[in-house]
Amino acid sequence: MLGGTRMDISILKDMFPVLLQGSLLTIELTILSVVFGTLIGIVTALLKLSKNKFMAGVAGFYTWIFRGTPMLLQLIALYYVLPSIGIQLSPFQTAIIGLSLNSGAYMAEIIRGGILSVDKGQFEACKSLGFTYLDTMKRVILPQTFKIIIPSVGNEFITMLKDTSLVSTITMSEVMRKAQILSASTFRPMEAFFIAGCLYLLMTTIFTTVFSHYEKKLSVY
Amino acid sequence: MYMIETKNLTKSFGSLTVFENLNVTVKKGEVLVIIGPSGSGKSTFLRCLNHLEIPNKGEVFIEGEKLNTKNRKHMRNTIEKVGMVFQNFNLFHHMTVMQNVIEAPITVKHENREEVIKRAKVIIEKVGLIEKVDDYPSKLSGGQKQRVAIARSLAMRPDIMLFDEPTSSLDPELVGEVLGVMKDLAKEGMTMVVVTHEMGFAKDVADRVIFMDGGKIVEEGMPDEFFSNPKEERTKMFLNKVL
Repeated sequence: MLGGTRMDISILKDMFPVLLQGSLLTIELTILSVVFGTLIGIVTALLKLSKNKFMAGVAGFYTWIFRGTPMLLQLIALYYVLPSIGIQLSPFQTAIIGLSLNSGAYMAEIIRGGILSVDKGQFEACKSLGFTYLDTMKRVILPQTFKIIIPSVGNEFITMLKDTSLVSTITMSEVMRKAQILSASTFRPMEAFFIAGCLYLLMTTIFTTVFSHYEKKLSVY
Repeated sequence: MYMIETKNLTKSFGSLTVFENLNVTVKKGEVLVIIGPSGSGKSTFLRCLNHLEIPNKGEVFIEGEKLNTKNRKHMRNTIEKVGMVFQNFNLFHHMTVMQNVIEAPITVKHENREEVIKRAKVIIEKVGLIEKVDDYPSKLSGGQKQRVAIARSLAMRPDIMLFDEPTSSLDPELVGEVLGVMKDLAKEGMTMVVVTHEMGFAKDVADRVIFMDGGKIVEEGMPDEFFSNPKEERTKMFLNKVL
């Protein structure tokens, strides 16, 4: 019940395909930005842990900026400020870059913590066997780090899935933006946001299940 | 040419000097056992031999090649010839027994996978764990883990093996199986440096025993004479306590 009106099933049916389409974009944005964010995060974490003070400083500055300001501000800055210095990006490109940079800053801290919690003896074993630094990371340390950080990454994934709603401010029609448009054009906010809420729950449930499955798979060792 | 030679090796942590000006040589096929109380610097000395600890002063020569921190590639290539077995095994947790053993030859030496697997099977058989090849380390006992760690080092076909208290974290009834593998290695002529508290092993297997205390080599000798007729008062006191 909202304002004395009942939820209308036929309106739900009409709205559902539109919002479902929006949630596909939400999923696309989430997966791409977390994948890029993970890559950025690995590099940033390694730089932060490196002995090179300058590169560690650059990486520290990056996480300081992107964790210390709201993502909404970052997206708006990318979308409205970059054109003024001659960089013209589509809303989709802006969204991917903004979300990935933001995700990367958080992933960097998650990954750095994971690397630090790998037993020091693993590094020593690698060194005594003649591994290079990169092989040590690639073959031994990072695979063990991933097991440690899976729960935090799952958390980051779900946060990112919900935060993609912010790209509606740069005209991307993901599920939240579609719900706003539908509710405004039909004067039926309850149906629109009810479906949007259900779709978010569905998506987060699917990803949670996938992550806990992966976590179980890695718990063999 | 010595297999290992240290010249004036010195290591300190901050203001604490662990040892100073140690000159030790190890010949081919020799088994050198280093004993001594905790904190005597014996483990740190061993860890300097493959630069897990970087000495503050002095030099380490492996088969005549000087370990040089400035030339990393040369150092890695030199260290490849030196296998190391740790007190806490340090097996790769995310890999099975077989994967642990074949990892370094494939990743570091870029050897052919099939050939490495063939060789690994022989080595794993030798340490008595062929039925465990597909198990993860978490499923193994301490003694089994240490035998896998030895197999992992042997897969690199080292010329020298370093053992850093290999049985100190094992339950007493598991010590024998690890020492057994080490004895076999010694018989095959492997050059070994062993830091241990196992006096029985030192007596039976060592060609030479070094007793360290307070960062100094207090006494050095053949095991028979060392254990039955120690010259230094400090050695006598230590042996009385542990034997």
